[in-house]
Amino acid sequence: MSSVASAPLPAPRAGERAGALARLAASPMLRFLARRILVAIPVLWGVTFLTFVVINHLPGNAAQQLLGINATKVEVHQLSAKLGLDKPLLTRYGDWLHGLVTGSLGHSLASGQSVTSILGSDLPITFELLAFAFIISLGLAVPIALLAARRPYGVFDRLSMVLSMAGLSIANYILALVLVYFFAVNLNWLPALGWVPPGKSLGGNIKTLTLPAVSIAVSLLCFYTRLLRADLVQQLRSQDYVTTARAKGVGPWRIILHHVLRNSVFGLITAVALNLGTLLGVTVIIEQIFGLPGIGHELLSAINSRDIPVVEGAVFVFGLLVVLANLLADLLYATLDPRVKYGSAD
Amino acid sequence: MAADHPDELASPRVAPAGPSRIERPPGGRCRRWSMAVACVCVILSVAACGGSSKTSSSGGSGGSGASTATSSSSSAPAGPAKPGGSLTVLESSGYAGDWPTGLDPATNVNGAADQSQMNAIFGQLWELQANGHLTPDLATGYTFSNGGKTVSIKLRPGAKFSDGTPFNAAAVVFNWKRDLASPCTCKPIIEVGAISAPSPNTVKLDLKVPDGAFIDQLQDSNFSWIASPTALKKMGAKAFKLKPVGAGPFTVGSDTLSNTLVLKKNPNYWQKGRPFLDQLTFKTTSGDETALEAMQSGQGDAYEGMSTLQLVNSFKSKFNVVAEPSTSPYDIQLNTKIPPFNDKRARLAIYYATDTQLLDQKLFNNQYKVVQGFTAPGGLFYSPTVPGYPTYNLAKAKALVKQLGGLNINFFTITQPATHDMMVAMQQMWKQAGINASIHFYSLASLIQQFQGKWQIAFQTAGAWDPAGGVGLAFRFTSTSPFSGVHDPKLDKLILGASAPVDPAARKQLYDQAAAYIAQNAYGPFMFPISNYNIAIHGVQGPGLTTPIPSVAVNPEVLWEEVSKS
Amino acid sequence: MAAPTELSVPGGLEPAIIVPPPAAAGRLGRLRALGGIWLPAFLVAAILFLCFLWPLIGPVSQPTGGTILNANLPSFSSGHLLGTDSTGNDEWSRLLYGGRASLEVAMAVTALGLVIGGLLGAFAGYVGGWRDSVIMRILDVLIAFPSLVLAVAIAERLGPGEVHAIWALSFFSVPAFARIARAATLRVREQNFIVAARLSGSGYLRTLLRHVAPNIFPELITFGLLGIGITVVLEGALSFLGLGIPAPAPSWGNMIAQGEGILSAQPKFVMLPSAALFITTVSFNLLGESLRARWSDR
Repeated sequence: MSSVASAPLPAPRAGERAGALARLAASPMLRFLARRILVAIPVLWGVTFLTFVVINHLPGNAAQQLLGINATKVEVHQLSAKLGLDKPLLTRYGDWLHGLVTGSLGHSLASGQSVTSILGSDLPITFELLAFAFIISLGLAVPIALLAARRPYGVFDRLSMVLSMAGLSIANYILALVLVYFFAVNLNWLPALGWVPPGKSLGGNIKTLTLPAVSIAVSLLCFYTRLLRADLVQQLRSQDYVTTARAKGVGPWRIILHHVLRNSVFGLITAVALNLGTLLGVTVIIEQIFGLPGIGHELLSAINSRDIPVVEGAVFVFGLLVVLANLLADLLYATLDPRVKYGSAD
Repeated sequence: MAADHPDELASPRVAPAGPSRIERPPGGRCRRWSMAVACVCVILSVAACGGSSKTSSSGGSGGSGASTATSSSSSAPAGPAKPGGSLTVLESSGYAGDWPTGLDPATNVNGAADQSQMNAIFGQLWELQANGHLTPDLATGYTFSNGGKTVSIKLRPGAKFSDGTPFNAAAVVFNWKRDLASPCTCKPIIEVGAISAPSPNTVKLDLKVPDGAFIDQLQDSNFSWIASPTALKKMGAKAFKLKPVGAGPFTVGSDTLSNTLVLKKNPNYWQKGRPFLDQLTFKTTSGDETALEAMQSGQGDAYEGMSTLQLVNSFKSKFNVVAEPSTSPYDIQLNTKIPPFNDKRARLAIYYATDTQLLDQKLFNNQYKVVQGFTAPGGLFYSPTVPGYPTYNLAKAKALVKQLGGLNINFFTITQPATHDMMVAMQQMWKQAGINASIHFYSLASLIQQFQGKWQIAFQTAGAWDPAGGVGLAFRFTSTSPFSGVHDPKLDKLILGASAPVDPAARKQLYDQAAAYIAQNAYGPFMFPISNYNIAIHGVQGPGLTTPIPSVAVNPEVLWEEVSKS
Repeated sequence: MAAPTELSVPGGLEPAIIVPPPAAAGRLGRLRALGGIWLPAFLVAAILFLCFLWPLIGPVSQPTGGTILNANLPSFSSGHLLGTDSTGNDEWSRLLYGGRASLEVAMAVTALGLVIGGLLGAFAGYVGGWRDSVIMRILDVLIAFPSLVLAVAIAERLGPGEVHAIWALSFFSVPAFARIARAATLRVREQNFIVAARLSGSGYLRTLLRHVAPNIFPELITFGLLGIGITVVLEGALSFLGLGIPAPAPSWGNMIAQGEGILSAQPKFVMLPSAALFITTVSFNLLGESLRARWSDR
């Protein structure tokens, strides 16, 4: 589990966006970063603590769930003691925090496996699903937005705007069911459930992930298309450098691709970063529908069995990703919009 | 999906799994939340005191060569079985598709729900065959002595665990003692005095009370699954439960908890020429609809425990579908301790207001047999009618409700798709008699809480293949159970007494008396047993999968060593 | 968890999905713009009428309490336009009442978010400093908090139900609106008239309510319309998981969940409520967007 300190890693990656990177490296930015990381710690603490308290107040505990309905009070008591569930809540949370600081997320109460190994096997599936969804949505959004922005309010633009509004309005779980009905039940083209490890069969892997990834990707695609298209149109209309380039006789496609797109892409990256954190939520329902053994599915079953260490581990990872993603988004946003100063954006 | 039974509380059937079965309202595929449920059920399984086995199997013989009943009697109709091939079996999450605590018999709280996986890895002492006969598997025979208080079990000579170590009495004694010492509620609830191994192939068990049902109660209990003591010691319990070693037809290849279990043919299996399959894979799906979709796209060869009536035709159009003989009827539990059902008139009103025949007709196309007691056509000691059973009579119901000055009740069950329509339909029906029922669906944990409070009326299942086993009768009707609505010493005596005699005829008589007593006192109406379906693609055959075998509790025991694929 | 997600997506970037209005609005453009508002407004009005008024005045039977004697009637049966479900309830009336439940939740959640989140966010953005930090950190915790845990907790502890669904979802609408309000406030804070008001000695609260609030309100209310669309979807997700409105009372989410178990045999039980939910979401989204476009035009 990467610690909070690793937060800045994901931020700057490629080197192409030189101007922005230079701004990033300026020292107020670093100070800003350090502050953001510091304030992220209480957020993560709050999330894990709240979760701990909430799960503890659900009816039944892991011992009861493990033993089932027929267990006697004595048996439940004995097992609770064995699992350490009889200790006061704060002590247990303290133990968990202590474990976290020393790099251990504890062990599942149900299976005894280490939480790290459980998350280690679930996360890649969820990440692969999300990566696939991002590839589909970005891969389509950029060309569509470019075509639309080329002639604003043209036929293609209007069509894409109408369709993307429709796409934005469709719930992912409904889309998933509709896709299953047509592509799995009726046409029998793609499997409706399960997951094949890429090591076993890459083709099988892609096939099993296609419907779930598309279910997630459609709303993203529409969102990104609108976002990028709006930004492109605005820049084309209002930016001086566009006027200058036009005056110099640069062709419209060249302006869009070489100048405008490069500027607009930052907004898109900001959106992707924000989505990354929040999308983990979507995966719970999509993983349920398609029977994918990812982190969302793990969280759901752990809540049901009151398996607190697993719930805490999953929640911590989720929380960490949300915090990191928001941090990244803020950074990019701040870089883009000079009106927002680092000082005020924390 | 294992089952539709509201039984979740108790038995393995409980956790029927569907996709989301448990907490999710009716529906599909979301996985059931609570695997817990499954556990629960399991618990019950070998329940309390026993009954007599009417095991018809050869009492003590069944020696080695006798590839006894197992093999031949059951093979499927489609010609000689062909060895080889691999089979993928889908199991629904929340029930048979969940094994969150691994597959060690001493600690798998889902034990009975996971009977398929457990039987494939460990084999069993006896196997339940078509027609409800038990035939020897790793045991060869048994004798009762001491008035039903001592059981001696003969083990199959020469049988070996898949790690090559001998399967013998010492191993069984080791396992049973370990099971009893484990906090797992998956162990049989029996009053054991002493367990010993008088000879290398004989295990002797002294019971504190006579238990003629003991052998029947082994089915689905962890006493039936014997782990290799050597492997267990070598690997340690933590590793063992992820990759257990037994003497069954298959060995564990890989195991992803509650997701995928890949089994390979066991070369050391005692029965020559078995199993037929080279590989057997169990894969978890979220429910009936999902299983259908998966089988259609070739992701599964078989599916156990289908229970969604509306999907039967869709399955039938493409696959081999077998309805399993039903053993466990729905019942309506009444809490006789508190108002309104401490008044017999209120209890009778429910009997009179419930048109069981109409429910069967409208919700299930008359597919089930309406019963009046806790026994069912697929189980032991079946009696189709019960003397004095109050049947549907709307006028009488109305009159009673009027006398009582109205009847307002809280009616609940576990959240599960199959129970939803039944609950709603009963609510509508009772309304006509003037009974106002508000209906509630609870998750397992909340359901347990209900029973600790002032509950009034619940929709459940009661009964099992042998009423002394499973979740059943004692669980719902004896005063010692926290989930019973009845607290009547006379009924306790009848029910507990019925499991003692070694003679089946004596047991039947006692069960008939118990059923009549329940009817006379209007302790709770029974409806009909629901049966599940097992599905297989064409070309697959095997007892329990493509031919009917009664379910011990929820799903029938498939005899995996006999399953083949052409 | 499905929840926070979508809600917060527009939260951070809401302006982005809005299409800038046509450059030069000629006569044709103006007509189009009118259509752009009136069509979704009409749809929204029709949906509200059908779900809230029509069951009171029209020949709509109760959505529960039918009889199994009428079970499983096909569509276009007499008296049952869309047929009946497996316990004999009229599917059309279940759609209407289901929509009513879903929309009640969505509107209540949005209203709570708008008022509480809006005030919190505007305050945080306006005062800045440590108060801003504290408020935003607390909201960050809520956003990062797994909604699934909360939804299970509320459903199991308090029991599933409409009011509890409102509670659960408000935990996410409040921070979402707060973020929008804060961002909008940051934008207007430095504008001359606000600075002028501050310099002239106007108090925090007064400036906030008299000057800031009216300026950010259009943006918030527009997002509110989008928020209703989003919340209808989220309520569906909750009910779909069995954590929202409990059966047998209908909501679009629990109807979809119920139908899902028999999708291949009887797809209509999934498709009808799904279509209703989709149309509703589209209508609210379109209305929100065209209003947004109008305001930003001014």
